Amino acid sequence: MTNSMNNLELVKKVVTEAVPVLKIEEVDKQQLAFEIDKRDVHHVLTVLKTSGWKQLSYMSAVDWIDENKFELVYLVFNWEVPVYVQVRAKIDRVNPEMDSILPIFPGVKYYEREAHEFFGIAFPGNPDYHKQLILEEWDDIPPLRKDFDPEAYSDRKFPKREYPADFSVVDPKNKSIEKRKERKARANALRTGGKEQ
Amino acid sequence: MIINVLVGIGIAFFAFVLQTSVAGLNRKIVGRLQKRIGPRWYQEFIDIFKLLSKRSVSHGWIFDFGVIMALGGIIGTAMFMPITSNIVAFQDYDNFFIFVYLLAVGMLGMAMSASGSGNPWASIGVMRALTTMLAYEVPFLIVVLTIINLSGTSSMTGIQIFQQTAGNNWFILALPLGGIVGFIALMGMLGKKPFETYIAPAEIASGPMVEYGGKQLGMLFILHEISVWIEVTLFVHLFLGGATNIFEFLIKYFAVYTLANLISNVNGRFKIDQVVTFFYKWPLLMAVTQAVIAIYFGWVI
Amino acid sequence: MLSTKFTPATKLSKAEIDRKWWEIGDFFRRNSLWLLMYCTGCCAIELPPAMTSAYDMERLGMGPMATPRQADILLVSGYLSLKTLRRLIYTYEQMSEPRYVVALGSCPINGGIYHDSHAVINQLDQYIPVDVYVAGCMPNTEAVMNGFVDLMDQIKHKTANGWKKYHANFEWYKENQRNSLGEVDVHDEFHE
Repeated sequence: MTNSMNNLELVKKVVTEAVPVLKIEEVDKQQLAFEIDKRDVHHVLTVLKTSGWKQLSYMSAVDWIDENKFELVYLVFNWEVPVYVQVRAKIDRVNPEMDSILPIFPGVKYYEREAHEFFGIAFPGNPDYHKQLILEEWDDIPPLRKDFDPEAYSDRKFPKREYPADFSVVDPKNKSIEKRKERKARANALRTGGKEQ
Repeated sequence: MIINVLVGIGIAFFAFVLQTSVAGLNRKIVGRLQKRIGPRWYQEFIDIFKLLSKRSVSHGWIFDFGVIMALGGIIGTAMFMPITSNIVAFQDYDNFFIFVYLLAVGMLGMAMSASGSGNPWASIGVMRALTTMLAYEVPFLIVVLTIINLSGTSSMTGIQIFQQTAGNNWFILALPLGGIVGFIALMGMLGKKPFETYIAPAEIASGPMVEYGGKQLGMLFILHEISVWIEVTLFVHLFLGGATNIFEFLIKYFAVYTLANLISNVNGRFKIDQVVTFFYKWPLLMAVTQAVIAIYFGWVI
Repeated sequence: MLSTKFTPATKLSKAEIDRKWWEIGDFFRRNSLWLLMYCTGCCAIELPPAMTSAYDMERLGMGPMATPRQADILLVSGYLSLKTLRRLIYTYEQMSEPRYVVALGSCPINGGIYHDSHAVINQLDQYIPVDVYVAGCMPNTEAVMNGFVDLMDQIKHKTANGWKKYHANFEWYKENQRNSLGEVDVHDEFHE
């Protein structure tokens, strides 16, 4: 297994023999993506783990708001064959739910908590998935959904600074020296509390 | 008696002023070593007075009382220390073992106070300080007992006069291995870099000092300066022939402290287990060899 | 009025004596500022040159400290997410008074490039009082050093009163903290 093409063929063989694959995408020379049904995820991850892809590098979700779907992405890695394998599965956007893969990869515990926090996906089978991890005391819809407006949230939640004085130089020829003097006087007053230096 | 106590307090005050100035000068020297300008020489005084001018919080009476007890213990220890072979507050009470006992009062007070703060880093720091103490005391005491055996007295003044009368035969020349062991143990006592495990600002957030701020930290700094003075002065008196006048003492003191500081600044930090294995390996071996050579064979220069 | 042999010494009132002591304390405080570096933002990269031989912070008597209890300045370097703001408030309330806050970069001033983020606050002085802002994204090291010298000037002229403001407007600051953070103390599996 020295050739990278052979490696990709090997991965394709392993996965297509195990489950029906909807779509195969070659991301690059070392990365392959398989789109499968959500019911086959556990089976294909078990097969991959037994054939050497025993490290779960990452797990996250993508929000396809036009299709009204969430896409879960599991990224596994093999230390002998240098190929990353992405396993993608789409789930419904309304009441999203996906059985946890905790029995296969115990390290997924915190990725699932993160996905629940940022996308609101439920993971039955993971006892802690509903606990707060990164966002503390969150009080809105999950923030990485596409229908969440971060700017509106920021405006509502965090006070903004208002600028009473306009320091922008409109006419650079005449005004800049005066503006600079004004700025310096103001800075000096702030520094010394209005007294003479 | 009152005169003696006043002289003792004067010695403690002298210790504080001297060590604080020398520490400030050493910060300047280290700054120059690192191609910096460095702080003013009286920066350490400013730091201490600033800390005393700040407001501070308390963590219960053990926390407050422990600091005062430690400071009192250290000032009490400094009062017994002779500066030169003539200047000594309490004649005939400057035995080496007095310092061993009284230094423990300061350390104990600090340990009590730090544990009273309830911070886990403080407990870890105290534990490491005691472990380091256990490590350096053994080789150091073997060398000191050799010196006491050779000079026939355990009085600090007596040891100084013994070295001076024999034609300035300093023990660091007479017992070269023992001198090296003494200096390494001094580095451990001062908490200088290879043995800085119990302060370790980046690792355990300055260890025992973690919960101190304001006035308590200021008192702790004074305590630290005086205890450094006691330890360096012990080395000067035991190994460098003491001093006949105060200028000689100042020169020897400055040289010893600066050397320790310079060595400290080109070293990394040991882990606590490395400190213990280090002290129980080479310094202990050298100390025992020196004792055997000096006492049983009598090969003393 | 100076007292001489011929004029009787004027008796100073209690307030005047306190003020004199405070001025003496101010001299020590402004010449020995110890930093607690809260380096979560990218402006922290400006601190190594400020500390080492390029600008040598120590010649002003400044230096890094390990814990909030020992430090005088809380140095906020860069953006603050909600999660770090909570820890920052813990830290600020642990410091012993007088305490000062220096904020680096444009993020603590108005949010900077994170002004529309759901996780990053926009204005630090709504939550804790800030004595000196150093603007810039990121400020260069001269500006950082200038900020420290400004703080010394403020202490000299008795205008570095952030910690007094925090006491006077404690309810207002707590209100703002609660509005943005929900609750300032966190209770979850990692904090018990």
